[in-house]
Amino acid sequence: MSTLIIGLSLGMLLFLLASGLTLIFGMLGVINFAHGALYMLGAYIAFDIGRHTGSFVAGLIGATVLVALAGALIERLALRPLYDRPHFYQLILTFGVILVISEVVKVVWGLGYQESTMPPALAGTVDMFGSTIPVYRLFVIGFGALVSGGLFLLIEKSTFGMLVRAASSDGEMVRLLGLPVASVRMAVFALGSGLAGLAGAIAAPLFPIELGMATNTIIDCFIVVILGGLGNIRGAVAASLLIGLVRAIGYSYMPSWVDILTFSLLIATLLTRPQGLFFRATRSA
Amino acid sequence: MIALEHASVKYGHALALEDISIEVGLHEIVAIVGRNGAGKSTTLKTLVGLLPLVAGRRVFGERDISRLSVEQIARQGVALVPDTRRIFPNLTVRENLRIGAVAHQPGYWTEARVLEVFPRLGERIDFGGDQLSGGEQQMLAIARALLGNPRILLLDEPTEGLAPLIVDQLVEVFAHVHRQGTGIVLVEQNLKVPMKLAHRQYVLDHGQVVWSGTSAELKDQRQLVENLITTGAAQ
Repeated sequence: MSTLIIGLSLGMLLFLLASGLTLIFGMLGVINFAHGALYMLGAYIAFDIGRHTGSFVAGLIGATVLVALAGALIERLALRPLYDRPHFYQLILTFGVILVISEVVKVVWGLGYQESTMPPALAGTVDMFGSTIPVYRLFVIGFGALVSGGLFLLIEKSTFGMLVRAASSDGEMVRLLGLPVASVRMAVFALGSGLAGLAGAIAAPLFPIELGMATNTIIDCFIVVILGGLGNIRGAVAASLLIGLVRAIGYSYMPSWVDILTFSLLIATLLTRPQGLFFRATRSA
Repeated sequence: MIALEHASVKYGHALALEDISIEVGLHEIVAIVGRNGAGKSTTLKTLVGLLPLVAGRRVFGERDISRLSVEQIARQGVALVPDTRRIFPNLTVRENLRIGAVAHQPGYWTEARVLEVFPRLGERIDFGGDQLSGGEQQMLAIARALLGNPRILLLDEPTEGLAPLIVDQLVEVFAHVHRQGTGIVLVEQNLKVPMKLAHRQYVLDHGQVVWSGTSAELKDQRQLVENLITTGAAQ
């Protein structure tokens, strides 16, 4: 049971991070390599706000908002002039953003790792089905489910989501209807970045906060985006849970095989179903 | 009134429109006709701001709108129905309609009214944009534009490739739209629909206006019609 809970919580954390990445790729066509750096930045900001205010919630909100603002600035100042250029310009740019964020983190927080404390209300354990389960893991699962539901409603049911989906298929036509595509794109990039910041804040009490914290996670994140289908939020939820469970079960029973299994799944998907395991030919987000 | 005054436009280094002057009143139907490649669609794209002017002015009412963005011009009340329809395939018919109204003030054209005019769309309301036939897509593209309650509606070959029955239905719709006080600019390769609807016509060739006048006057220009317009249907 505890393996299942760990798998689900890993999956939900992965979803929080991957949803922003898949949203940005699906709606803007931008492969944002800096997404992991934004996740790391979110963790540091949440840690710092939590340290100064003693409030975990303030850290969550602060990290989400500040990283979203950073994303909006990156889109406005750096990415926007590159939309009409080949993709590798954007790749190089987002690599540059990683370097800038890493240097900022070094200057502000130093090279050593930081440890965020677990919020007292979520620090305990509960007994479920004969297993002892950390409350924070359950919180991550519930929170991730809430965010995935909110994102689904935002993209599928709101006017903003309708604009985002329309702009992703034909931005020029959206402009011809009098709508500000540039602002929609900036909002999408800010939203995706904010989700990375939120994932960082949620991850902060679970892992040491350090410069390299994004490296492994971001690889899993790209695997989720590919398995789920680029730009597919529902696919990202399913793929995140799949990867989370594969990792949790793998680490429990055959730890040496975890990465081999995960990457084999990725390669098999790319070869046989490059549109993603959870792609459906519908108008899903 | 929407107008191009001595406008020139380039595609790369090639001149696509040369010193063109076109004027359309807010209560008239004007057709722009000419052969393939004459510059008809380019003229519409220039009117809505998709193509920058290298010379001349773009005017709406008394205002110079040469420097306004595409979305700013659209919000003035200028709507384009492109020749390829450009329905959003990942949105439902209902969403394709709703998005047409988002940036605009409410007016005569409401979702209920356009569905009255195009009942077929009502039957397909929850279908995806990519699940419609060519005729249905054209209806949706026109309905989407109408929901913005435009003051000027620009139609780029709206009857191209459609069955005669649907063409007749669209002609009725355009007449209805005009009766509600909306100006129409109609681009066509042949004269069949323009002769039924347009008060005035411009004939384009090689990016220039080579003739302009009333539809009645164009009927007498047999030589011009034979040389410069795809006609089989000049009637």
